[in-house]
Order: sequence, then structure tokens, then C-alpha cells
Amino acid sequence: MPAIIETTGLTKVFGANGNAVHALRGIDLTVMRGEFVALVGPSGSGKSTLMAIIGCLDSPTAGTYALDGVPVQGLSGAALARIRNQKIGFVFQSYNLLPKASILRNVELPLLYAGVSRRERRRRALEMLEKVGIPEKSGVLPAQLSGGQRQRVAIARALANRPALLLADEPTGALDSKTGAEVLELFKELHRQGNAVMLVTHDPHIAAMAERQVELRDGLILGPESAAA
Amino acid sequence: MAATGAFRERLLSAWVEIRENLGRSTLQALGVMLGVASVLGGFSISDSQRRHSDELFAKIGGFDKLNVQPSEAIKDGTQPSALQNANLGLRADDASRGETLDLKAVQGISVQKVARARVRSPFADQDRQITGVAADYLAVNGYTLDTGRLFSARDIETAAPVCVLGYEAVSVFFPTGEALNQVIRVGDIPVTVVGILKEKVFRFRASEGNVFAWRNKIVALPATLVAERMQGDAYHRLDRIVFKIPSIDVIEKFSAGLSALLVSNHRQQEDFRIDDVAKRVRKRRSQGDVYNLVFMLSGILSLVGGGMVNVNIQLATLKERVREVGVKMAIGASGREVFKEFMTEALLLTGLGGFVGFFIGVAFSKVITTVLEVPLYMDPKSFVWAFLLALVFGFLFAIYPAWKASRLSPMEALRYE
Repeated sequence: MPAIIETTGLTKVFGANGNAVHALRGIDLTVMRGEFVALVGPSGSGKSTLMAIIGCLDSPTAGTYALDGVPVQGLSGAALARIRNQKIGFVFQSYNLLPKASILRNVELPLLYAGVSRRERRRRALEMLEKVGIPEKSGVLPAQLSGGQRQRVAIARALANRPALLLADEPTGALDSKTGAEVLELFKELHRQGNAVMLVTHDPHIAAMAERQVELRDGLILGPESAAA
Repeated sequence: MAATGAFRERLLSAWVEIRENLGRSTLQALGVMLGVASVLGGFSISDSQRRHSDELFAKIGGFDKLNVQPSEAIKDGTQPSALQNANLGLRADDASRGETLDLKAVQGISVQKVARARVRSPFADQDRQITGVAADYLAVNGYTLDTGRLFSARDIETAAPVCVLGYEAVSVFFPTGEALNQVIRVGDIPVTVVGILKEKVFRFRASEGNVFAWRNKIVALPATLVAERMQGDAYHRLDRIVFKIPSIDVIEKFSAGLSALLVSNHRQQEDFRIDDVAKRVRKRRSQGDVYNLVFMLSGILSLVGGGMVNVNIQLATLKERVREVGVKMAIGASGREVFKEFMTEALLLTGLGGFVGFFIGVAFSKVITTVLEVPLYMDPKSFVWAFLLALVFGFLFAIYPAWKASRLSPMEALRYE
């Protein structure tokens, strides 16, 4: 199976000279297609930075990174935007839905940016809402939904363009344990359907649900990876 | 992209954004509204005023008349030459030859010879100006017949002792109203009243007096009669010839041709004066330009002022929306897309503001023209101008905040609290 994420010697330095902060100090990480990986580590370990780079939201200071076989370092902003749109689905802790747009429009948004026709957008957005189990909420605004439902909408939005990789940053952090478990179950289900999922969390219990854990500490991957692939 | 409805979606979310922040949006649109209102109102008031004064000019004299009057050919302190002495001045001949220069353009000729005389009727005895007329004098000067008849060609030819009286003249010389076929004495010539003219009334404003009161005083005789019997002038010299030429485009050419004709007709002496038509045409065309410019400037100033307020508000709200921009970028919006979204919003706001501005502008023009007692006239071009200016400035001032938004780093935008 080909790798979806392949990094070698990734480093990220914030600031310059005297007060430079080395957030990543050389990350070599390979994630295969269809893998369910948990990225764990305490705050300050560099996992958010790594996730941002893997998500093409930020670029590394040094090192190489290939997403789905395509090297992305040095690409233009527009090209990165296209990759984020096509290959990556983001799920955030605070859902990050657009408050003024209906659920349907929220889910349609990545499809709109991808240039999908109106009719097809609607169809796929409804399909995704069905998939995450809230097909009946398409017309309402995010504020009218519970936290768990909002996160489901966010997942539907992340799935809309059938990305190669789902990147979830503390997706259950704002949810109570019961709904959190349900959302995690949804991720597992998506994984079973063949999606590659990368879960970023500081909670070892949540990380334990993934088939493989990658632990970060001080900008480095800790110890021998429990490679499952 | 149009097929995907991306523009439509941007428009829709821009509309939602504007609606959700109505107070702020109104504030932002205020500059546009005032700018559009100012340009539109200014243009309309100036257009109304111009059209009104055009109408006034048409009524009290018009741009369509080319005056020819006799003048001294002799310069101060010099003796007149033989040729100059032999000249006869302006004559009926000049009028009829002038007409042949451009039969199509000349719509009428008014010939005038004035004199002063005592006018006596059984009711009154006054010193009056006597107007000797020929050709289309009465028609060209806007007189219309009330009762009786106007002068016939034969009356003019034979210097018939007949007269036509104006409205006021009738009321003075025949207070009973029965003037037709009565005889009055003009100087020592008895003339028969053959026609009575309608009253000429014209007021600049309803509240003001009749500008044409003096025209109703007319006592018109055939010009030939005035020349022959009152002034003993066998050559029938004239005091004024007026060519009525409605087309402003040919009047200048006609004027030049007429001047050449008259000079050759007058033994190469320029003993006449033709109105400076070129100047009049220029003035006619440029009238109101200055006002339009001033109003456009004031409109632009308010658009610039409004635009700067807009930039400030937009930059301030951008801070609230950094996270939203970050999310959109994470989902796959490019900087260009973010730029377009912000521009769409700003331009929609400009459009709506401009639309409201139309109403303010119309109301503004209506109020001012009512106060000025001028009928309101709004040129569609003013609407286009006002709207275009608003769009241009709306566009220019939207660019900076939109560019700023589009340059946000997705990473930092997402983390922005």
C-alpha cells in the first residue's frame, strides 16, 4: 500500500536567532493509506505544528514532506489551498463551522471551492450528512445543534471532497465523554470504510483507539514506533 | 466558474453577512449613499436649471436667432470715404438675399424699422415707439393674432396705411375693446387697425412679473410705410434683420456666409454687425459644465470620505473574521477566493448603498428644484455617472482590506483568538 504521508527530517523553527523556538527537530514519519494513526503528546510537544504541516496549513523550515506521493514543500499558496481542498479533511476541536451558513452550505463549502456544480454539491453534501447520521438537519444553522451534532457536521464537511486523509485535531475535546465516544466511533467507522485518519490528541485513552500511536516529545518522535503497517 | 454558481454563492454569503450586521453595513454604505446622492442630485439640479434656462431663452429670444444690425463703418476721427458715404446701410434686399444662402436652415426672417411718433385715438394720445415690420416679424417674435389679420405682402409692398396693435396698446387706445377697423393717427398719418394681437405673457417664476409686458405695447406698421411716410427714406433702410435658424450646428456657417454676402453687397464696407454666434454656441454648450464639475467633485469627496471610513470598518471587522478566513482556507479556499469574497461583499454593499443613494438624490433634487421653482429634469446619464463613480471608488477602497484578508496565513488565522 502506498504511503499517504511521508516525511523525512522535518524541522520547524519559529522566530529567529536568539529567541528561536525549535518546534520540530527532525520528524521522519510514514503513514500508509487507510491507516488510523493517533498523534499523541503533551502540549508543547510539537504535535499541533506537525499537524499544521501535514495539513499543508504551514510549511516546514527544512525536510521533505510528500502527501499522497506528491512533494508539497515549496508549493505556492494557491496550490496548497487546492491540496487542502482535495486531499485533506480537517476536523477541529471547536468545530469551526460558519455560524451564518446553514448546515448544508457548510458541508457544501469545500465542494464549492473545488468547483463542483450546484446540483452535485447538494447531492454530495446530503450524502455526507447521511453518512454522519444527521441527514435531517441540513436546513438549520450550526447554533441550533448540539456539540456532538456540530462535530458530525464538521466531519461531513471534511469528507465532502472524499479526501485521502482525515486530520482531526482533538475532535472530542469540547464534547462530553458519551458524545465524544460516539464521534470516535464514527472515525473508526470511517477508517473501516478505508479512510486514512490521523487523530491528534493529548489523551492516551483516545489515542488507544487508533491502530497505531505516534508519540511526540519536544519536537521528536518518541522511542521505537509501534508500527502496525 | 460561473457554471458552478460560485459567484452566486459569494453573493449570497455577502448578503447574509450584510444582513447580519445591518448597523455596521449601513454605516459603511452611508458614504456611498451620500456620494451617489450628491453626484446625482448635483447633476440633476444643474440639468434642471440648464433645461429651464434653455426654455426661458427659447421663450424670450432663443439661441436660434441671428441678429444683423447696421453699424458705423467709419473709425473715430477719420473722414468717411466716398464709398462709405455712398452706402445705404441695411436694406430689405439684404434680408431676401441672405435667405437664399440656406433656404432650408432659415425658418423665418424678421425685418424691423423703428420710429417714435405720437399715437392718437379717440381715447388716448401718447408718444409711442412705432415698429415698422416686414417679412415674418410678428411670427418670429412670437406674436399670435387674436382678431383681424396680419399684414399681407401687398400691404408691405404698397406701404398701406394699416396697423396691428398689441394687447396693451389696444387697452390704452381702445379701452372699450372695439379697435378693429378703427382709425388711429400715427404722427400725421391715419392708419386703420386691421389686426389685434394676443397678450404675450412670460414669467421666470410664477411669483414674478410678466417679462413680456413691453411686447404687448407694440404698434406695428408696414416697414415701408414707416420709411416712406414717416422718415422720407426712399431706400427703405432697416434697423434690424433677424434670421431664425433653429439648428445650432449650421448657424455658425450661415453667419460667416452672410457676413461675406453683405460685405460684397455693401461695397466692401462692413457697416453692419452680426451677433457673435460662435461665442453664443460655445456658451450654450458649456453652460452648467462648471456646476456639474463642482457637484461631481463634491460627490467624489464624499465617496472618498466614505471609502476611508469603509476601509477602517472593514479592517476592524476583519479582526473578528480572521478565524472564519482561516477555516475557509483550511477547507480549501485560496487567497484569491478569500479576496473575491471580500470584494463581493464590499461591492454588494456599494451597489445597495448606491441604490439607496438614488432615492436620496432624487428626493434631494426634488426639494431643491421646488425651492428654486424650476421643473425637475433628471437625465438617465446622471444615474449612470453617479453609479459608476460609486462603483469605482467602492472598488478601489475595497481592495486593501480584501487583499489583507487574502494574505492571512491559514495557520495563524486558524489559531487567532
